[in-house]
Amino acid sequence: MAAPSGANIKKKKSISEWLHGYTGQKYTTTIIFLLIPIVLMILFTIIPAVNMGIFSFQERDQFGASVKWVGLDNYRTLFSDTSYFQTFINSIYYFIGSFVQQAIALLVATILCTKVRFANLFKGIIFFPYMMNGVAVSLIFRRFFQKGDGITNTEGTLNSILMLFGADPVKWLSNTDIVNWCLVFASVWRYIGFDIIMYIGAIQSISPDIYEAADLDGANSWQRFRYIIFPGIRPIIALQLILAIKGSISVFEIPYIITGGRFGTSTFVIRTIDTAFTYQHVGLASAMAVVLLAIILIVTAIQKAIFREDK
Amino acid sequence: MKMKKILSAAVTSALLLSIAGCGTSAPASTTAANTEAPKTDDTTTTAAEAAATEAAATEAAPATDSGEKLTLKVLTCRTDRVQDGHLDEITKAFEDANNCDVVYQGYTDYVSDVSTMMNTTDYGDVLFIPDTVKLSDLSNFFEPLGSYDEYKDKYNWADAKMYDNTVYGIAHRGNVSGGICYNKKVWADAGVTTLPTTPEEFIEDLKLIRDNTDAIPYYTNFAAADWTLVQWAALVLSASGSPSYENDLLINKEDIFTPGGAYYNVYKLMYDVFSDPTLIEEDPATTDWEGCKPAINNGLIGTMVMGSWAVSQFAEAGDHPEDIGYMPAPFSVNGKQYAQSAPDYCFGINKNSSDAVKELGKKYITWYIEESGDAEAEGSIGTLKGSKMPDYLEAFQNCELFVAEPAPDGLVGVFDAINTDSQVGTWAGDAANFKIQIAEAAISGKDFSAVEAIYADNNQRWAETRDANAELAAYLAG
Repeated sequence: MAAPSGANIKKKKSISEWLHGYTGQKYTTTIIFLLIPIVLMILFTIIPAVNMGIFSFQERDQFGASVKWVGLDNYRTLFSDTSYFQTFINSIYYFIGSFVQQAIALLVATILCTKVRFANLFKGIIFFPYMMNGVAVSLIFRRFFQKGDGITNTEGTLNSILMLFGADPVKWLSNTDIVNWCLVFASVWRYIGFDIIMYIGAIQSISPDIYEAADLDGANSWQRFRYIIFPGIRPIIALQLILAIKGSISVFEIPYIITGGRFGTSTFVIRTIDTAFTYQHVGLASAMAVVLLAIILIVTAIQKAIFREDK
Repeated sequence: MKMKKILSAAVTSALLLSIAGCGTSAPASTTAANTEAPKTDDTTTTAAEAAATEAAATEAAPATDSGEKLTLKVLTCRTDRVQDGHLDEITKAFEDANNCDVVYQGYTDYVSDVSTMMNTTDYGDVLFIPDTVKLSDLSNFFEPLGSYDEYKDKYNWADAKMYDNTVYGIAHRGNVSGGICYNKKVWADAGVTTLPTTPEEFIEDLKLIRDNTDAIPYYTNFAAADWTLVQWAALVLSASGSPSYENDLLINKEDIFTPGGAYYNVYKLMYDVFSDPTLIEEDPATTDWEGCKPAINNGLIGTMVMGSWAVSQFAEAGDHPEDIGYMPAPFSVNGKQYAQSAPDYCFGINKNSSDAVKELGKKYITWYIEESGDAEAEGSIGTLKGSKMPDYLEAFQNCELFVAEPAPDGLVGVFDAINTDSQVGTWAGDAANFKIQIAEAAISGKDFSAVEAIYADNNQRWAETRDANAELAAYLAG
C-alpha cells in the first residue's frame, strides 16, 4: 500500500513541479492565451466554412428541412449556366477603379510624407472614411447621387452642386452607362484612406539617410520618387494590387445598398445572396461561395509566386 | 500571483462556457419559461404589465387559486400595432378569460428574422408562418390544427397553409389582392369619369393625368423595387379571371408568358407605363417610399400599384384620407373584371411548445379570428366567412371576387417548387428577376423586343424545371 502511494505522490509532485517550472509555465500560458482566439476562430470561421463546403454538395433550403445529397450537381449548374459568371463583368469596373485609387493614394501619400502643414490632420481626414461602416457610406452616397423630383425627394448633393454652377441635374443611378462608375467612385472614396496609410507607412520606413544623400546629389522631387520611394515600396504596391483584385471580385455592400444590384450593377456576391435567400437554393449558393473562395485562393497563390520572383 | 492565475483561468473558462452555451442554453431556458408560471420574457411592451401581475400574485394569493398562469409568445410583423399598444389592449379580454399572459414580439423585417430564428426551436408559440417555408415542410415546424374539412366552411382561405389535407395555418385576415391605389381627386381632375377596364384605357387615363394635372401620373417606387415591383404579381390572378389559373398552367404545360396570358399582359402593362418617361417620376433609381405616401395623399401622385394594405397607410399620411381610392386591375376577360381575395399572413403554432401552450395558442387563434374584430377594424376582410367587407372596396362593385382555387391533390406546392427551382420567381424581386429586368429595359428606353427576350428566357427555364419535376409528371400520368 505504502510504496505505490509514495510513488504516486512523487509523480504528482513532478507534474506540479513541471507546471511551475519555466517550460511548464510557458506551455500553460501559451495554451490559455491561444484558447480564446482559437475557439473563436473554430466557432465562427472554420465550422461555418466546413459547413459551407458540405452544403455545396447538397440541395437544401434556408431551414435545412429536406436535405438531399446531389454530389457535384450544384457546381455543374454553376459552370453550365453563363448567367452566374456574367456578374463578374461588373468587377472589371472596380478593378479599373482600383488602379486609379492606387495612383491617387500613392500621390497623396508621397505629398503627405514631405513637409506639409497639418499633415497629421490630413491623414486623419483621409483615413476617416475607411473607419466608417460600409452601410453608412453606401447610404451617404445614395443621397449624394440622388436625382430629386421635387415631390417625394429633393436633389442630392452632387446635383445640387452642379445646379449651383448652372448645369442640368443628372440621373446618376438609373443611367446604365454611368451608374457603375458612380459606385466605383463611392468604393474608391471609402477604401483610399487605407491605401494612403499603408503607403505612408512604407515610405516612412525608408531610411532618411538615403534622402539626405539624394539631396546632396541634387535630386529633384520626381527623381526622389522615381529612384528612392518607388523601388522602396514596390512590395507594398504589389500587395495593394492583389488586395484590389480580391476586393473587386467580392464587391458587395456598395452596389447592394445604393442600387440593390439593379441597372446592371449586380455582382457575384449579390447574386449569391439572392440565390440563397430569395430562391432558397442554399446548396447552390454555397457552391458559389466555394467558387469565390477558390478564385481568391488562386489569386493569392499567384501573388505569392510573383513575390518570390521579386526576391 | 497565484490569485491572478486562478482569476485568469476562471475568466477564460467562464468565457468559453458562455460561448459554448450559446447553442443550447437559450432554447432550454425559454421553454422553461413557457411551462413555468408567470415569468415573462424580457420584452418591452408588457414588461410593466408583467411586473404588475407578478406583484399582484405575490401579495394577493400565495395559495395558487387557479393553477398555472401560462405565457403565450406571439411573433408578429405588425410592429406599429405593438408599439402603440393596440394589440395589448385588445388582447386583455383574451388574457382575462383564459388567465394567461400574451406577449407580442414585433419584427420589422419579419420574414428574414423569423426564418433565421426557425433554425432553432425558439420561435415563439403563435407566429405568422413565413412564406419561405415550403408547404411540404410545414409539419416540421408547425402543429397541425385540423383537417381541411373542419375549416373550409367556416373560414376563408383555409387552404392557404395546408398540406396533405391538414391545415397548419389560418389567415389572420385577408385582402383584395390585385388592385391599384389611386388618388380619386387627381383622376377626377384629369377628366376620368369611369375607371379603366383594359390596359389601353389605363394608359390613356395616365396620359390624361399628365396633360390635365400637375401630378405624377404613376409613381414607380423603383428604388425599393425588390418589394414594390412584386406588388404587380398580385395583379396576375385577377387579370386572368380564373381561380385555377396557376394550376391550369401546370396541368396544360403552358409557358408562363404566352401572348394574351395574364403574366404576359400584366408585365406588358408594366413595360408600357415605365417606358414612357412622361408618365412616371423623374428618376426611378432614387424614389422614396416614405416620401410618396404624403405625396399621393396630397394629390401630387396619381397612381401606384400596391396591395390594399397600402390604402390605410396612404390615407393616414396626410390631410386627404378621403381621396385615396382602390381600383380593380385594369384587365377584362370577356368584358368582365375580376379580383382575387387573398389571405394575409397565417397564424401557425410552434410545434416545439408545450401541449398546454399549444392548446392556449389554438384558443388565441380562434379568439383573434372570431371575436377580436381586429381585421374589420384594420379595414381588412375577416377570415370568418360572412364578415363585413371594408368600405374602400366600393370600386369593386362590378367586379367578380374570387378565391384562388387550391391545388388539386398531388400538385400541392408544385407551382411554388417550380417557381423557386427555376429561379423565375413570380413573387421575387432580386436584381436578376424578370420584373426588375423588364422595368430596367423600359426605363433605359429599350423596345419591347428586349421584354420578349426576357419572357423567352424565363419560359425556357420554367419549362425545363417543370419537365424535370417528378411530382407533376406523376400527377399527369395518374
